[in-house]
Amino acid sequence: MIHDLILLMVGAALVNNVVLARFLGLCSFMGVTTKVDTAVGMGMATTFVITVSSMGDWAVEKFLLVPFGLGYLRTVTFILVIAGAVQFTEMVIRKVSPALFQTLGIYLPLITTNCAVLGVALLLVAGKYNFIESTVFAFASSLGYSLVMVTFAGLRERIALAEVPPLFAGPPIGFVTASLLALAFMGFSGISAN
Amino acid sequence: MIEGFARVVAEEGGVVWLEPEQTASCGTCMSASACGHNADHGRRLAARRFPLANDHDLAVGERVVIGIAEGELLRASATAYGLPLVTMLGAGITAQFLGAGDGIAAAATLGGLAGGLLLARLRANRLSRQGALTPRFLRRAGFGGCGG
Repeated sequence: MIHDLILLMVGAALVNNVVLARFLGLCSFMGVTTKVDTAVGMGMATTFVITVSSMGDWAVEKFLLVPFGLGYLRTVTFILVIAGAVQFTEMVIRKVSPALFQTLGIYLPLITTNCAVLGVALLLVAGKYNFIESTVFAFASSLGYSLVMVTFAGLRERIALAEVPPLFAGPPIGFVTASLLALAFMGFSGISAN
Repeated sequence: MIEGFARVVAEEGGVVWLEPEQTASCGTCMSASACGHNADHGRRLAARRFPLANDHDLAVGERVVIGIAEGELLRASATAYGLPLVTMLGAGITAQFLGAGDGIAAAATLGGLAGGLLLARLRANRLSRQGALTPRFLRRAGFGGCGG
């Protein structure tokens, strides 16, 4: 079982990376990756919300949408579950530590509108996983998202110090770097073929 | 040091209350008024007000630059999100490994989450007592204009 879970994690985090293979969450990928530390903060917040909301999505799918034939309400229902998970996280962090809330609260509103969160929830349904598999899949997908965010932020910090031709300065060099990173991640797809 | 803008919204004795300016991940657009980033904007900012000792004679309405050390942000993230995630997944996977069904595994995962949040609370209290996790005044930013 552990072997299967490890394979599931590698597949979700690297081979089918949510940002560079499925092209989800590109808004935060370009917007919150100017500094490594803010990328880490956003990545961890997103990881927590995706993992928590995946549990809610799994329960809603198994006990509500499938038994009552309400599959056509899946997208709307999952958005509601995600918004609830973000609100829950915000409330809990405010309760657990007001100081933490002041430090980290900035990232939470951004997650509600991150399409990677909904994308992972819909992938869970397509995968027909059991509870632990779906939670681990969501965790690994968001870990892959965080990995890419931090890697890209590190690259952008170095590019900021480099001499870039004026034509490519700013967002253009960011997009060129992102495409090269996506090409590099395509190398992981060879793992599944061999 | 990670820097951000805040505005002085109140002054009581030797303490000023600061309201951080919210930045968005996008540059905002023509549809900003209907965007999820701006929903509940005022309430969220009011909830994030925090006190600071008024050692620099700050006045209401003044904009200041506040900062927090990079290491503190990482420690805060690890405490608030990392710790509950580890205990949650650990409890769920252990339950499934021991042969539990989906229901028991889900209960164990939720139990792990609750335990992790409790540990996070204890660690956050300890960090707060040490003076970590609190933004510090860096310099004045001038009146008016939009931050970001």
